[in-house]
Amino acid sequence: MIVCVAVVGHQNNPLYLQSFTEADDALKLHHIVHCSLDVIDERVNNPKKTGPTLNETFLGLLYPTENYKVYGYLTNTKVKFIMVTTDLDVRDVDVRNFFRRFHSAYVDAVSNPFHVPGKKITSNTFAQSVRAIVKSFGSSTAV
Amino acid sequence: MEDYAEEIRTPPVALVAVVGVPALHQTISAALHVEQPPINTLALPDFSRISIMTSKQKETLDSSPPGGIMKRDWLAKHRTKIPAVVAALFNYDHVCGDPAQWLQVCTDLENLKAVIRGRNIKLVVVLVQSTVNVDTSEDRLIALRKRAEIDAKYLLVFVQSDPSELKLSLNRLATVFAELSHAYYREEGRKIRTRIEKKIFNSIELYVRYCFKVAVYAEFRRDWAEALKFYEEGYNALREMVGTSTRLPPTQRLVEIKAVAEQLHFKVSTLLLHGGKVSEAISWFWKHVGSYKKLTGLSNVAFLHWEWVSRQFLVFAELLETSSTTIQSTTSPLSKKPLTEWEVQPAYFYQLAAKYLREKKHCLDQTLSLSESSGESGGTKAGESSLESVVPSVYVGQFSCILEQEEAFIMQPLTDEEYVLYAIAEGKRFQESYEIIALLKKSFDLYSNAGALRVASYCSGQMAREYYVAGDFSKAKHLFDGITDLYRKEGWVTLLWEVLGYLRECSRKLGSQRDFIEYSLEMAALPTVSNSGMITTDHKGECGPAGPTSQQQKEKIQREAFGFLSGELQLFLNEGTNSSIDSTEIQPIELEIDLVSPLRAALLVSVAFHDQVVKPGVPTLFTLSLLSQLPLPVEIDQLEVQFNQAICNFTICKLEHPSSVADSSGPLQTETIPNLTLVTNKWLRLTYTIIAGQSGKLECLTVICKIGTNFKICSRAESPASMEELPVWKFEDRVESFPTKDASLSFSGQRFIQVEEPDPQVDLLLDSSGPALVGEDFVVPVSIISKGNAVHSGELKINLVDIRGGGLVSPRDMEPFSPDSLHVELLRVSVSNENESETGLDSIKNIQQSFGLLSVPFLDIEESWSCKLEIRWHRPKVVMLYVSLGYLPSNEATAQKVHVHKSMQIEGKTPLLISHHFMMPFRQDSLLLSKIKPATDSEERETLALDEISILAISARNSSEVPLRLISMSLEAEEEVVVKPSGEVSAELAMLVPGEGFKWVFSVIPQSAAPSIGVGTVSLKWSRDLPNSGEIAPRITTKYKIPVVKVERPPLMVSLECPPHTVLGVPFTLCLKIQNQTPLLQEISYSVMDAQSFVLSGPHNGSIDILPKSEGILCYKLVPLMCGQQQLPRVTVTSSRYAARLQLSIAASAVFVFPSQPYFEMDGKGIKRLPATSDTQATLSVT
Repeated sequence: MIVCVAVVGHQNNPLYLQSFTEADDALKLHHIVHCSLDVIDERVNNPKKTGPTLNETFLGLLYPTENYKVYGYLTNTKVKFIMVTTDLDVRDVDVRNFFRRFHSAYVDAVSNPFHVPGKKITSNTFAQSVRAIVKSFGSSTAV
Repeated sequence: MEDYAEEIRTPPVALVAVVGVPALHQTISAALHVEQPPINTLALPDFSRISIMTSKQKETLDSSPPGGIMKRDWLAKHRTKIPAVVAALFNYDHVCGDPAQWLQVCTDLENLKAVIRGRNIKLVVVLVQSTVNVDTSEDRLIALRKRAEIDAKYLLVFVQSDPSELKLSLNRLATVFAELSHAYYREEGRKIRTRIEKKIFNSIELYVRYCFKVAVYAEFRRDWAEALKFYEEGYNALREMVGTSTRLPPTQRLVEIKAVAEQLHFKVSTLLLHGGKVSEAISWFWKHVGSYKKLTGLSNVAFLHWEWVSRQFLVFAELLETSSTTIQSTTSPLSKKPLTEWEVQPAYFYQLAAKYLREKKHCLDQTLSLSESSGESGGTKAGESSLESVVPSVYVGQFSCILEQEEAFIMQPLTDEEYVLYAIAEGKRFQESYEIIALLKKSFDLYSNAGALRVASYCSGQMAREYYVAGDFSKAKHLFDGITDLYRKEGWVTLLWEVLGYLRECSRKLGSQRDFIEYSLEMAALPTVSNSGMITTDHKGECGPAGPTSQQQKEKIQREAFGFLSGELQLFLNEGTNSSIDSTEIQPIELEIDLVSPLRAALLVSVAFHDQVVKPGVPTLFTLSLLSQLPLPVEIDQLEVQFNQAICNFTICKLEHPSSVADSSGPLQTETIPNLTLVTNKWLRLTYTIIAGQSGKLECLTVICKIGTNFKICSRAESPASMEELPVWKFEDRVESFPTKDASLSFSGQRFIQVEEPDPQVDLLLDSSGPALVGEDFVVPVSIISKGNAVHSGELKINLVDIRGGGLVSPRDMEPFSPDSLHVELLRVSVSNENESETGLDSIKNIQQSFGLLSVPFLDIEESWSCKLEIRWHRPKVVMLYVSLGYLPSNEATAQKVHVHKSMQIEGKTPLLISHHFMMPFRQDSLLLSKIKPATDSEERETLALDEISILAISARNSSEVPLRLISMSLEAEEEVVVKPSGEVSAELAMLVPGEGFKWVFSVIPQSAAPSIGVGTVSLKWSRDLPNSGEIAPRITTKYKIPVVKVERPPLMVSLECPPHTVLGVPFTLCLKIQNQTPLLQEISYSVMDAQSFVLSGPHNGSIDILPKSEGILCYKLVPLMCGQQQLPRVTVTSSRYAARLQLSIAASAVFVFPSQPYFEMDGKGIKRLPATSDTQATLSVT
């Protein structure tokens, strides 16, 4: 189950952060997302030498914590997407798929002429579509 | 890891014992220790000590279930007490000596054999000799071997005298020891393995124990693979025991299992990590933690479980850290996915160790509070007495009670209740907070070194939280302060809110009112996180002391802060000082907000002048805008605006505050306004007029807000044009408005204004009388007339600037720069004051060619002063004359300099254009060869004939716009020429109106032939004609140098002889004389063209030869046919030698024909009659 998704801007500022847990661990998830930026920074600054990762937006598993796994995605405009899940066995394909859909939802949201780039995303439509994507992620892994 | 015993932490090392000949023990043990693999030595000086190896009563296999899984001291025993091999050292003398000694040897051997027989310990007999070549009696040796029941190869001879022999002996010894100990451990291991394989055990405990033993024996002989296999086997068997074992009460059973599991796990991890299998080790670790994490046991002993979990993490982190040097980037090919660097970071395990230690603390606190509340004081009393006798029992992970019974100590098992009491008592002694902080510190250091700022900040925050819980508020505050910057910069509002909440509480606890207010205001001014609705319940320790971020919470915090400031709330219930600070004790608090302060969100001050430049004393508009993001409106009582010019400072008060107005009324200007309330995210704009006092920069520095009686916010004023966005708010999607009504002013407005100089009250006049003339000293009178200001320490600056900007030297002139070549020059400044002697020296400070600086004496109001600038033009040029006067209007120190600037364009003109030209005498010409050939050199030089008269005409024309008076003219001839004025030169005092010219004629006879000969210089004296004034204009001399000429001897001279005039019908003779001046015969051809006005007699064409130095003459008779100026027939002569043709000019070949003989009369000189006829008088009068 995905417990948290976040969009992080250029200055590593949160643009959108939504947690999907019943429990009261929003602050903990904030910390996890914030700390995962360190890993993204490191990945971006020291890219692996292997070729195919050159234009890869999907950063893969950032780091597994005790209870969560954190995945990252870097758009071509250097906006970071971070996803925190409690599933211990996740297929890369599912995560890639999730991020692809999340990215297109993000692109729709920022294409809104009333959205100011660099500001937080407050669109309800975006929140709804994110919720739908997160739900479908859970079901697709169950299948 | 330090908690573990030494024998667990280090890999086991084989142990051998040496008995007898104690002098050698040191040498042997040192040599064995450096062997590879090393061997430890148990040195027993004599045979009486061998009893320590004595086997105790072994448990029989079929006895009742064992009391525990593993004995605590089993490993230590095998590492330090029970050797694999015993070496009996005998002196050779004793063996081969007298029978009594031999008997002793035999006894010792027997005893030793009796001791080691039960344990299957190997025996080696060493015969110590002092030298090699000692006769050994074979019989004795065989007897000894028989007695010892050993192989021949285990009877060694040890030679100690010779160093090389000693070394050989030691090597031999070591080889035998290694071989025998290996065999010993293999046999021991196999023995136990057989038991496992044959399943000769009646309890799972024994199975675990056997596995452990087999693994240890394998480790003794460095068989890591087998060791690992059996450790894992034992571990797995142990895991199965959790649900099945019933031997002990449940709590203690779990404790024992976990203690054993910990040991086995440690061994497995160590072996894996040392083998470089990092990813296996990590996955093994997670499996270990995963399988035991849920076994918390009963709630009152949960703290023991968490302590155990924490220890697992800590130990594994330490293992990772110590082995990290060897495991750099070794990703095992066996693992499916490569590990990220973050998974092998020990920092993460330290962090988790701290987390579980905190969990333990939490549980322990709960347990303690429960036990206290249930009031089992009597029980604990009784328990405590018995607790003192609780000691670790012989089995790993078990505790028991020592009871004294009949002078013997009996171990008695504990009940679970007793054990819990014991564990709680132990737990109380333990300082978790500092342990947790130490773990986090370690994690923080590791993360910081790895450059992971955010995780390090997280650890730092956790540390601070722990300090906070422990009550060390100043340390907590210091750490929290360190991480706020990162969260502020990256705009993580929720995280910042949490930290600020802690900081606010810390400052409250520390009694720091100022900090408390600062943090409160910053918190209240943070944006509200939009989806904070997720946080519903108030979870202790999760959100920090400030609770979740919400609008209500922010409002509450703001209300608290302002309530405290106004004295309504008493917040400082400080345990440390034990005194509640009531409102009277509140110190006046003054906050400063600068350009980087996080409090800018609470109060942002922007000031803008509407203009950029203003005159002093002229009012200008000034807008002060205030913005606050605080959730509740803020009432400001008084605003104080401060400028760099204190005279402009003013205060803004609310209307209903007359008292404060009275207080501050003084030098300050006070404005009143009905309402000074700041509403959230809405600019409060106030516009006032400001009158600048002094010239220069007027800058608004600070704006001080006074709220209540003892709260001030001193805020740096910011220009709207260069205002930074609020650090946290800039990512928020909020309504943004401009600080000023006029949007353009928001983009361009500045917090400073340039104040110009005051208008000067002094006139600076420049007079000039028309254009200047080149050569004269042109005078420009400058006068300073004070009208309203006295002139103190005045300074006059004069500057001459070429109007075309090319400087005063034309770049087109090729002449090198020199002071003489300056075209316009400031000569001097003459001060026309009466008391010139007084001002004499200091007045003129500095006069340069184009620049002058002089001081002006003190002038009172209505006084005037003047001076004259003398400027000389060397070339005609237009220049700008800039004169500026700087002065102080008063003598006071604060007086500011006032400047007056004047400029004037002056054109310098050439007064007289002097020109010249040479001519030959009338109707005479000379053949000058250089004229025939086109000049090769570029400069056109006039050529004159040697020794012949040339006519020089000099003309001067007034090219200026003023009348000039010529005074005299002279020509200074050079030596090579003779110059005579032709006719009388009477140019004295001739007036030349503009455009008029004057001519002089000279005859010039060159005296020598040369390509360049100077003729002379004309000096012309003139002056301006000043008809009106009586004063005499200065006389100026203009010089004109006649260019050099070329003088050459002409080969031929031609002159036309003809009467000056003729009469109609009267014949006359026209002669053409050709003079040959060369020593050569010259052939001259000639031709005559008819003229219609004359009848001509003579040859039309022909040629003549002229002898050297002689003259040829061509004569024609002509009769004029028409009256008036008539053209004579044109004669052309051609010199064939020089190929030169000469034709007289048209002017020279014309003659006037009178109708009849004329008469001339001249004034005062009598009548002159032309010699030709005397009957033409009437005709003359007619003409």
